[in-house]
Order: sequence, then C-alpha cells, then structure tokens
Amino acid sequence: MRSLVPMALLFSCALSAPGASKPIATMQLPCPAYFQTLSPDGTQLVVTCRDMSMVVLSVPEGKTLRTIPVESKAYSAAYSSDGKWLAIGYQGGSVEVTSTKGTASAQRWQGGPRRIDLLSFLPDGKTLVVGPSDEAARVWSLSETPKLVATLPFEFGGASAAAASPDGKLLVIAGGDTAVRFYDTATWQKTHENRNFLLESFALQFTPDGKQVLVGGADARITVLDAATAKQVKQLPTDGGSYIVGVSMMGDQHRAATVYLDDAGKKPPHAVVWDLASGKSSALGVAPTCCESVAGKLWMCSADDKTLTVSQHD
Amino acid sequence: MKLNRRELLERCAVFGAVTLASSVSLPMLAAAWDEAERKKTTPHSELGPFFKREAPHDTMLRKPGDAGMPMALSGVVYDTRGDVVPDAKIDIWHTDNAGFYDIDGYRFRTQLIPGPKGAYAIDSVVPGHYPSRVCQHVHYLVTASGHKPLITQMYFATDPVFDGDPAKNYTRDPLCGSVDLVRPVMIKSDGNQMVAAVTFDLVMERA
Repeated sequence: MRSLVPMALLFSCALSAPGASKPIATMQLPCPAYFQTLSPDGTQLVVTCRDMSMVVLSVPEGKTLRTIPVESKAYSAAYSSDGKWLAIGYQGGSVEVTSTKGTASAQRWQGGPRRIDLLSFLPDGKTLVVGPSDEAARVWSLSETPKLVATLPFEFGGASAAAASPDGKLLVIAGGDTAVRFYDTATWQKTHENRNFLLESFALQFTPDGKQVLVGGADARITVLDAATAKQVKQLPTDGGSYIVGVSMMGDQHRAATVYLDDAGKKPPHAVVWDLASGKSSALGVAPTCCESVAGKLWMCSADDKTLTVSQHD
Repeated sequence: MKLNRRELLERCAVFGAVTLASSVSLPMLAAAWDEAERKKTTPHSELGPFFKREAPHDTMLRKPGDAGMPMALSGVVYDTRGDVVPDAKIDIWHTDNAGFYDIDGYRFRTQLIPGPKGAYAIDSVVPGHYPSRVCQHVHYLVTASGHKPLITQMYFATDPVFDGDPAKNYTRDPLCGSVDLVRPVMIKSDGNQMVAAVTFDLVMERA
C-alpha cells in the first residue's frame, strides 16, 4: 500500500474551477502506469510506470524526451513551480535535478539515506524538500552544488506531504508520526505543529492568501488549519472507503478539489469538489491520474491501458 | 543487586569460578562476551500509510466470528546488547483476513508495553492479502527512551508468495528487505481450534 502513496502525492496541484473540459492532448501511453506528474507550464509530464520505470513526455506531442529504466529505480518526481526544473528521487536515496529546457547540466547527489518518497520545490525553484522513506526530511539549496540547509525531524516515519506558502515563507510538512508541522523557511525553525491527526496526511495545500492550509489523508476528509497557529479551523465530512492524495483550492477560493484513491479496491480513483463553507460536495466526473494548474487552468490526466489524455477544465 | 558483566566476571575470578589465561584480561573477556551475545538490529520495513495513533492496549484482537486463521503472535523486545527493553511501546497493526485496514476504528490494532521480561503476545487472525501488496504482513512500531524508533513488518513463511522458500523468494515483495523478517509459522491446537503461532523478537538500536 505504502508503495503507491508517495506516487499518489504527485497529484498535489492548484486548481481553477470545474466546468466544461477541453482536450489538450491525446498521446500513446508508453507503459501501464499508475500516475503522471504534469509540469506547471504544461510542456512535459512524467509517466510513472507500474514496473517503476519512468518516461518523460513532451506535451502535447507525446514525444519521449527521456526514459528512466526500471533498473535505475526512480521513485518520485516533482517539477519546480516555474516548470524549469525536474527533480527525480531514487531508491537508494539519490536525487537528480535536471533543467527541463536543457540549459544546465544535471545535478545528482545523495539527498537522503533511503528511497526518496517525496520531493517538493519551494516557490523560488532553488530549494528542494527531500523526503526519504521513514527518515527526517532534508532541505537542499540548489545554488551551484547542492547544500543541505536543514533537517526536519519526525518522531518516527518520514515525510508524507509538503507544501510551501505562496510567498515561500512557510513550509508545512506532514509526517508518518501523523503530526503536521510548520517551518519558517528563513530560519528553518518550527513555528507550530498540529498533533491532533490520528492518521497520516498525504496532501497539503495553502490557500492562495497563505492564511490557511488544507490537509487530507488517510482519514478521507479535508481539515482546514490556520497557518499562523496550526489550529484546526474546520473539518469536512469523510468520503469513506478511500483516502485523499491531493487537495487544492479552486480559483474562486471557497471551493476545494480533492482527489481520492483506494488501492484496496473499495472505490475507484475519483475527484470531488467541496464547498468549504457549506460542506456540500459534487463529483468532478473524472478518474484523474494527474492534475496541475497550468496558466490558471486546471489540467487533468486520465488514462486507459494504451492512451493518455490531458484535458483542461474551465 | 544486578551486576554488570564485568562485575560478574570479577566476582567469578575472585571466587575461582573463572580462570583467565595470562594473556586475557577481564575487560577483554567481558568485551568478547558482550560481542558474542550482541544481537542484530531488526531490519527496517516501512511504516506504511495506515498507522493510527492511540490504539487501545488490547492483547486479544480476535473477536468471535472473525474470518481467518487464528494467530498467536509473540516475542521479546531486546536491545543490541541482548538486554530486554521493558519500557518499550509496541504498536502492532494489520489488515483483517480480507485485506482491509480499519481506518474508522481500531480493529486489529493495539499498543502494548511489554513486561519486565520484555515479552509481548497478542491473539489475532492471520491478515489477508490486498491488491497493491504482495505479501501478508503485520506492521510494528516500537519506541523506547534511549533507543531509535524501530519501524518494521513481519511476514509469514507460509505465504504462498514465497513458494515454500522464503530465503530464495523473499524479494518478491519489494518492501520485504530481509529474510529475517519472514518468520516460521507453527500450526498448533489450543484445545479448541488450530492456531498459527509466530514468534517475532524485536531488537532495537540505542540512540
């Protein structure tokens, strides 16, 4: 089960508003795949294959830009928010950062002692949060040679989700110990934490104003935290039989889109939009395998055995 | 009064219970003895996404009518010096026989504190397989002051995945990083029913 969840974290995205969908690209799926990671500029996506190989495709052409064979044991991937950098985490704890435009040579270093489950860029594109399996998270500065700038410990377990505030001044990170912690990114001192979660959280998303954080996870419901205190503001109903792997504010700032997954077979992957004020929900009508905010619009992937479709939802 | 190894050896030497060759000192003998009894830290196997805090302190996780082979799971918590860790906290959780974790409640979840001898024991059912995991398994989280948290999983040698040869086939589950985590299963009767008895000792590393 755990093996799927870090990949599912790739769903984390910022959404605009649901409505009519418009196809962006239809391409051949290079391998049976669990999930894809779409770059925020909409020009690339990473396909995570079921055999744990990875394929980087151009969008919308579907041209293979790079194949990372199964022997390399790539495990996690993340794009910087400007889409210029792609980070890939490997089984043995190494991390690679490459320029998506081919303008700089790749950097590869030992980012952690174990398999890299989580990668998350800060908005500056120069700071990378690395989450090794069941180990403290590491924060790396990517200026020239990667430099370790902070270690973010957990009581036990490793990082299961991370998100930076829109201004990059706060990092919120969830751990296997079920706590959600806030860090000041200038000093990397912990500012607050919430230890009220009984189960692990897999998705974190700041509201656009940076004042609140949406948290979702194994409890299958959105919890809203105050970013200044880490205290719970509200909690939405559960969607039993599945768990949340992605949660994001919609462009109207009062609704949140949530991606659910359940690999125990009780429910298929699905997406739900929640009105945060009323707690009412509506299905988004897709079985998403990726989502990303591209130029303020919601892009989502869906896949069958052979075809991958990227569509825009206005 | 509990003597440490060196004190015990000194006392034995004084009373003639131990005779040392001229080339062997007591500290050397104590160190060699320590080394011989040193235990290997239980291999790590990941926490998984469905750990739940605040599990009840139950030893009987099986309820009447639960599907699945009854399981008796027991062991002792040691440190790498072979000393028991009586103040450890052991969280144990696994799926039901159909392969589902209880997220809403605490079925098949417990937190135990072993007694002075470091021993723990629970009664449950053998967990099922679920789609994204290859092997049946039981999760453990063990914490104790002065020790590194131990996160691991126990696997069953009888799991069909291993084809009867866990030493050869344990890597069929990519999360099972060591054959030491695959434990033999003894089928025995408790007088009323057949029970799968498994012993899984846990060895913690000092912080």
